[in-house]
Amino acid sequence: MSEPSRSHRPRLKPLGQPKAVTVRADEHGEPVHVRMPGKPARRVAVIREQWRIDDEWWRQAISREYRTVVLDDGKVITLYHDLLDGLWYVQRG
Amino acid sequence: MSGPSSRAQRVPTHQGRGWAQDSATSNDWLTSSALDNNWATGLESGTAFLPASTRTSTSSRQALCLWLPTFELRLELVRSPELDTTSVALLSPGESTRRSIWQVSERAYDAGVRPGQLVSQAVSLCTSLTLLEPDPAHYDAAVDTMLEVLTELTPIVEPAGHGRVFLGMDGLGRLFGSPPRLIDRALGSLFQVFPAPLVAATRAGMAPGKFGAWVAAASARSGQPVIVSEEKLTSFFARCPVGALPVDPLVIQRLERLNVQTLGELRRFPEPSLVAQFGEDGKNALAWSTARRIDPVRPWHRPHPIRVSLEFSNPVGLTETLHGALDRLAERALSRPARRGRSVTGVRMGAHLEGGGSWFIETTLREPTSHRERIAAPLRAKMAISPPPKAVETLLLELTSFGAPSAQTSLFDRKTEGGRAAGGYDFNQGEVPVTLRDAVRELKLRLGHSPLYRVVEIDPWSRIPERRHALLSFDP
Repeated sequence: MSEPSRSHRPRLKPLGQPKAVTVRADEHGEPVHVRMPGKPARRVAVIREQWRIDDEWWRQAISREYRTVVLDDGKVITLYHDLLDGLWYVQRG
Repeated sequence: MSGPSSRAQRVPTHQGRGWAQDSATSNDWLTSSALDNNWATGLESGTAFLPASTRTSTSSRQALCLWLPTFELRLELVRSPELDTTSVALLSPGESTRRSIWQVSERAYDAGVRPGQLVSQAVSLCTSLTLLEPDPAHYDAAVDTMLEVLTELTPIVEPAGHGRVFLGMDGLGRLFGSPPRLIDRALGSLFQVFPAPLVAATRAGMAPGKFGAWVAAASARSGQPVIVSEEKLTSFFARCPVGALPVDPLVIQRLERLNVQTLGELRRFPEPSLVAQFGEDGKNALAWSTARRIDPVRPWHRPHPIRVSLEFSNPVGLTETLHGALDRLAERALSRPARRGRSVTGVRMGAHLEGGGSWFIETTLREPTSHRERIAAPLRAKMAISPPPKAVETLLLELTSFGAPSAQTSLFDRKTEGGRAAGGYDFNQGEVPVTLRDAVRELKLRLGHSPLYRVVEIDPWSRIPERRHALLSFDP
């Protein structure tokens, strides 16, 4: 069965893709300040929850430390520290 | 070129054993499978992966058979030439557990690997064996290409299993010359689309009727076509093994047990005896062996299928996700303008798999339908029996055959075109309200693409947030 060419093939666009953010962490690796792209840095008021995901080692390994944090302006965001590339990301979902 | 030569004929048996027993003729390639001779039964012609043909009255008595033994394995080696000199085996398609060997290379054969063996047996016999996953989509595309290019030579082209095709040659002599020139021309067509080593392995045989052409091709060597004239057909068949007959394999087994090895020996029996022993098959076997039965080549027409596909951003192995994607694909396929006014009778679902290879299932619907659920349900049931062996990168759906619209369907379609269809329900069944369809069309005209998307569930329980939901372009 031949199918439409790759360029014309409908593709799913994943929702909730992570976006890189700048995070300053303390000596324990916990986020202290978060600066979203194009916005001023915000202090992390409280870390509500944290969990870790290690998955898909058979494909392209995923290793993330998630934290749900409350910023000093009251906004709640979900951050994760990618343990493979060392960067921080914010993610919806 | 050679005519019916004096050397003993070696024709693959119905079970494909002929080649395996005879390395002189088989050269390097062996096929496991039954070299299905279903073309003789009429209705079952066409390849295993192609929809059934619709016959017309046009046919050709003079037949040319082009046969590429182990076509699929050769295609794989064209893709991976570094494997050419290694022990390679192609796995049987459509199986998820207890995989078996489908086709093997010469080196693997020398090591004791045989078609039909379980993988564990094959690997224990040949530790350096490279196993290849079958890629039916790739083979189908190659067959499509082959048929397309051969159709330029003659309008009467009848595929009969991967790697084997019959061409109707009646009347072409006046255009292209003698039979050897015709064969050269046909092989020249293949050179346009396939690499030279692949075409060089093609065996060609020309004779009156498909059976004669097939036996001629099977007894030919690469580059040495066999051409059999009508007068010599009977004597040509005399040394042909009974295994070449396109009849029930059990009939062949029984004939061999009775020490009837060739068609010449079969001809010694009176027809009533054969009919008494083997029924209709006995009668047909005698008709073929005496060249009384000549099966003409009939043109093969494939209805234009409706194809839709969905590429996942990450390979998906979750059954629920694939079910959801199947629903979306069925909706999209049903909403295609080409489908409207027709019901669907045959569907095929496939996938490109992570790490290469493809997977397919096919079903004929119990009754013609234009409802998503009635199309998706049997495919889901088949998928449960034979699931994709690996994670899926792209899911494909093909509406392969269509029926006439029922009275209700016509009524329904007129209603939709009149803009009176109820939005939600019809939308869920794959029908898009005409107002929404028009709105999308206008937006596409203005922007060049549809700016509307639907949120679809991919893997809603995934621990990885970006795997849970996705946007799918809404373009009815």
